[in-house]
Amino acid sequence: MKPTPEELERIIHQTLRSLPPRRAPHSLESRVRAALEARASLPWWKQSFARWPLAARVAFFIGSAGVAKLVLMAAIWVMAGFDGAQFAGAFSTQFAWIQTASAIVDGFGNFCGTVYRGIPPLWLYGGLAFVAAMYAALFGLTATAYRMLYANR
Amino acid sequence: MNDEPPVQTPPTGLIPPADFTTFMRAYQDMVYSTAVRLVKNEAQAEDISQDVFLKAHEHFDTLSTSPTAGGWLKTVATNLSLNHLSRYRNRWRFFSEFRRDDGAGAEAGEPEVEFAAPDTFFAGVDAGERRVLVEAALGKLPEHQRVPLVLYHFEDLPYDEIARKLGISLAKVKTDILRARAALAQILARSGTPHETFNA
Repeated sequence: MKPTPEELERIIHQTLRSLPPRRAPHSLESRVRAALEARASLPWWKQSFARWPLAARVAFFIGSAGVAKLVLMAAIWVMAGFDGAQFAGAFSTQFAWIQTASAIVDGFGNFCGTVYRGIPPLWLYGGLAFVAAMYAALFGLTATAYRMLYANR
Repeated sequence: MNDEPPVQTPPTGLIPPADFTTFMRAYQDMVYSTAVRLVKNEAQAEDISQDVFLKAHEHFDTLSTSPTAGGWLKTVATNLSLNHLSRYRNRWRFFSEFRRDDGAGAEAGEPEVEFAAPDTFFAGVDAGERRVLVEAALGKLPEHQRVPLVLYHFEDLPYDEIARKLGISLAKVKTDILRARAALAQILARSGTPHETFNA
């Protein structure tokens, strides 16, 4: 007799719920304890950021903002050809960082455009075709290997 | 297989454990069971269990006196197990299971489960042997059937919650669980227990 879906659900549920819990390996407790000890022995600056002291977190944010500004200043200084006057002018206004960011993006775009125009089209399309072919080959090879070595185990 | 007697005490949820070790001993079987039934691999389940208790340690001040600590641990174990599966197995699952998306299923060619209306699969089998047989049968199910089946029958999640957690449609969850039950019944029927009343 074929069981109804409701009957099968009831029997499977009863069978599964009658199972006792799987016993955890004895190594689990020692592993957790070792991990906790290792974590506790770390100095605060190597622990998660949430566990840093509040003052350290505030200092980190201020320091990060300072570093970001320095990087921007250095970038505009380089792009201005190490011209001190232009560099000072760029930062003389309150919103100079917008101009700086824009200049960096423009400079990067010009650089990419120059590189792109310098590549022969045949090389470009050939390279793209090669990458696509290698990707497809790797995809197929991996799928085949998985089917042969793992899926049928 | 771990055959030594259990070291943990059953969780009551009412008596606050004195320390984290006591807390862990009370819940480690439950956490490990949740993980191993979802990911199937014992080593990975142990890694996940370790992560669960490391997270629990961060919230131990709250959990140690909470009557819902068991539920919290189970939810974290379930979520970490599902994260593990989705992080490491999506591509492999695609390779191995797209052939089953036609609705027929791998078990379509097998005979239907028939039985003489038993109340249980294992009328005369002792509990230890029954556990081994059922756990082994669960392990034989493909991941796309085992995971929703475990979430439904062990974790008591409703269909729509399972669909949301797995990122699949409600209809697929229902179909997969239905097929998982049939496949599990097939496997148990073939498991060769002397008191079996199934005729597969």
